[in-house]
Amino acid sequence: MSGSIQAPAIDVRGITRVYKARPKDVIALAGIDLEVAPGEFFGLLGPNGAGKTTLIKILTTLLLPSAGTARIFGFDVARETKQIRRIMNMVAGGEQSGYGILEAREQLWMFSQFYGLGVREGWRRVDELIDAVGLGEQRNQRVSTLSTGQRQKMNFARGLLNDPWVFFLDEPTLGLDVSAARAVRELMVGWRAAVPGRTVLLTTHYMAEADELCERIAIVDRGRILAIGSPAELKRRVQRESIFRLELDRLTGGPASLARLPGVLSAVAATPVRADANSAARPTVAINLVLHQDSALAGVVAALDGLDAHIVALAKSEPSLEDVFVELVGRGFDDEGDPEQPPRRAVEPHEAGQPEPEEANR
Amino acid sequence: MIEATIGRDERFDPARTRGQGRADLFRSFRTAVALGWKMEANWTDPVLFFIYSVAKPLASALILVFMLQVIAGPAGQALRPFVIVGSALWSLVVSGIAGLAWAVLDDRERYRMLKYIYVSPSSFVVVLLGRGIARLAVGAMGAGITLAAGVLVLGVPFDPGAIDWPLLLAVLVLGLATISALGVVMAAICLQTRQDSWTYPEAVAGALFLVVGAVFPLSVLPDPLQLLGLLSPLTWWIAGIRQALFPGGPSSIGGTGSAWLRLSGEVNPNDLQIVLVLLATGAVVTLASAILFRVGEGRARDRGLIDRTTGS
Amino acid sequence: MTAPGAGQPRPALAAPVLPAFVGRPTAGPREAASWTPRQVIANNLRSVVGRAYPRIRGLTREPSWVLFEMLLPFLTTSSFVFVYRALDAPQAYIGFVVLGGAMTAFWLNVVWMMAAQLYWEKDQGNLELYFAAPMNVMSVLFGMAVGGLVMSSTRAAVVLLVATVVYGVTFSVSQWGLLIAVFILTLAALYGFGMMLASLFLMWGREAWHMTQLMIEPVYFVSGLNFPVGRLGLLGAVAIALIPLAVGLDAMRQLAFASTGVTGTPEPWIETLILVAMTVIFVGLARILLHSMEERARREGRLTVRWR
Repeated sequence: MSGSIQAPAIDVRGITRVYKARPKDVIALAGIDLEVAPGEFFGLLGPNGAGKTTLIKILTTLLLPSAGTARIFGFDVARETKQIRRIMNMVAGGEQSGYGILEAREQLWMFSQFYGLGVREGWRRVDELIDAVGLGEQRNQRVSTLSTGQRQKMNFARGLLNDPWVFFLDEPTLGLDVSAARAVRELMVGWRAAVPGRTVLLTTHYMAEADELCERIAIVDRGRILAIGSPAELKRRVQRESIFRLELDRLTGGPASLARLPGVLSAVAATPVRADANSAARPTVAINLVLHQDSALAGVVAALDGLDAHIVALAKSEPSLEDVFVELVGRGFDDEGDPEQPPRRAVEPHEAGQPEPEEANR
Repeated sequence: MIEATIGRDERFDPARTRGQGRADLFRSFRTAVALGWKMEANWTDPVLFFIYSVAKPLASALILVFMLQVIAGPAGQALRPFVIVGSALWSLVVSGIAGLAWAVLDDRERYRMLKYIYVSPSSFVVVLLGRGIARLAVGAMGAGITLAAGVLVLGVPFDPGAIDWPLLLAVLVLGLATISALGVVMAAICLQTRQDSWTYPEAVAGALFLVVGAVFPLSVLPDPLQLLGLLSPLTWWIAGIRQALFPGGPSSIGGTGSAWLRLSGEVNPNDLQIVLVLLATGAVVTLASAILFRVGEGRARDRGLIDRTTGS
Repeated sequence: MTAPGAGQPRPALAAPVLPAFVGRPTAGPREAASWTPRQVIANNLRSVVGRAYPRIRGLTREPSWVLFEMLLPFLTTSSFVFVYRALDAPQAYIGFVVLGGAMTAFWLNVVWMMAAQLYWEKDQGNLELYFAAPMNVMSVLFGMAVGGLVMSSTRAAVVLLVATVVYGVTFSVSQWGLLIAVFILTLAALYGFGMMLASLFLMWGREAWHMTQLMIEPVYFVSGLNFPVGRLGLLGAVAIALIPLAVGLDAMRQLAFASTGVTGTPEPWIETLILVAMTVIFVGLARILLHSMEERARREGRLTVRWR
């Protein structure tokens, strides 16, 4: 690996992209700044329509930005397309490309020729990758007869044919079942680990996938990056208070009796886990407790005796990336929301590890 | 939760699995025709109108008119009506045969909707026929324009008062049914073939062109081909339309040296013979098309071809 | 929205580092991006072969084309032969029809499998993979042409040979060298024309399909598919100047049926020059158009917008 790898793998400065449309233009990207280091597994997390795919299209030289610049290992995406195409590849979820009349092996070989491999080298590499992605039994099967999962594995093999230095994965597990999605995620991890400096940019709207795979994540919504950081850092942002879920056998005076205790910010009833009418177990009272800090819990536990209540279960609630998203955007992934309304909380993108930026309303 | 949102009257009704018979068929057909119209045959689009109803059929006719002109010169004038009517009708045949096949290829390869149509409660063949009707209508428009251009520009003598309307109506109805049946056969074939088979319907139509007496009398063909032509309902359809529009004009079936003359002892077939043979051969073709479609559909299901995309 | 299985304890991802994942050792991304001219040429040549491959394999996978692309077109050509027979035309005219029928194979191939093809590729999601790959998309177009030529040449040869034997066509070739050159140049101009149209059609949706329809019977007529194009007068002259099928067919007729004295059109050597000019112009325009269409598509975001 040469010293040149020290240039950012992906360097995006002030990228905007506007699609001409009626009745009004669509702003897909509204000023994105992003830097991904070589060797990083970076995630773009956001709901449908957030601008993730548009950014990938710009980075893979398929689309020009309306404004701003983007570079892949120092090569400009607008002008130095040939160089970029030699060192990157991409795979999209639900990809149906290719020729159904060819066998999986033949289709991959065809692409190997497009990617600059020699004729024999192409066949060798194809066979190698077919085995690596677990398509050995389907190598001579026509593409049109492959299952969705097999097809995505084949797409993955296609993406690896040219040993890319940057691998763009646009919702790669879309529509796959649990085991196929897991197999694809393992391939991503295994491939990147094989050579230092290989960079992955993954877009997904699966929170757990981003959490599991990415070293850093940018949360994107309506063309803006709302926050960047490692999954742990992002989660810490929303955990300003201690949140516990308390389940009691009974509670005289209800949650309000706990809300009055020192250090308790709020205590609200939650749905008990065993509240199901058919259950033989005794009904319980579940409460979500929000405390100033963990130490306030001792006072709550001590007060329970006086309230004639006994703890059935107690758990500290860890925030998820979804909580981070809800905190930043004011709605969940599945909610359409009002496109005219700005995000509830938008923060400038910043490097992981830097102090948290000031909250800013836009 | 389900109880709360679904009213008593909206619960699953087992009778729905039986459908509503003709009403369902008609609705499917009407929807498919409307879809075909929007996609293929919108005459309000001047480009589409020009391409399908003017340029293609007129050019086909002009090729033949020029062949006639080159060889026969002014003497060829007498044969013009024969050639123009045959050519105009042939554009209708090509549209009819191609319409259903292209609907299969379009919906499978481009729109990827064929599987949804196939699994819907609608009759698959009825939906395809509906799509095909739109193209047939385009072909009919083209045929009309070609005939009109023949009369107005190319000097084809035409007397509207001489039209044999009962014959025209009878052969039109029987002929269009037969053309649709051939379209169904072509659709069954294209269910099996790859994306690049767009040209197949025209190839089939082009081959049939040889034996149906569209632009030259069957009598110039070798005997086996003449016999083949006599077995084709399209031969009788074209002869019938010619006879209805230009009573007493030259026949493509009979004449000196024709197999018809040798078989029947008559120079030309009369109107009743034309209708009866068209009915008989058309019925055979329709029956065969139903069987072939069923076989083709079964094979496509067996091999998983309904929802594949091919490409090369 | 969470991934399938989210919320349940997940075993840590096993990440096997297989030798296949290591791949070819490269110095680094910037070095890997710098190709020598030899590498660039090799990549483009291999891409031609790569794109031709599915077309050639397709022929062996689905033999239905033998019937639909060879036998039936022969019958269509036969129909026009019988039109001339019905008119008691000189035997040379049968030869004209047979030659026209053979050349139709190439024209149809250009129209159906070249002109409309990039639009198809876009629709199938292949085009964005082509544009994101390092080769020039012109190589992909060349590959399509080469792949298509295999089938169309077979069809043309069968129609020509069988019809010649069955209908007793006699050729009177005066200049074999020029005839071969004209044939090759006709193919070059035809496929160059197809490449140019493919680039143009890229920006169209369904319209591309309809435009291909406009290029069948109307072009057959103005190109004089079944009669000497010179008989069309000014229209024929315009066709000779613009349509490679018209000029190529006329030149070949003049050379292959020298004794019939086909007149009314330029001498074969002039038509040869027209074919050379057409080849250069069409291929050049294809290159320019493809580049500008790609740029426009990248600018407008239409490269990956599928028409439905």
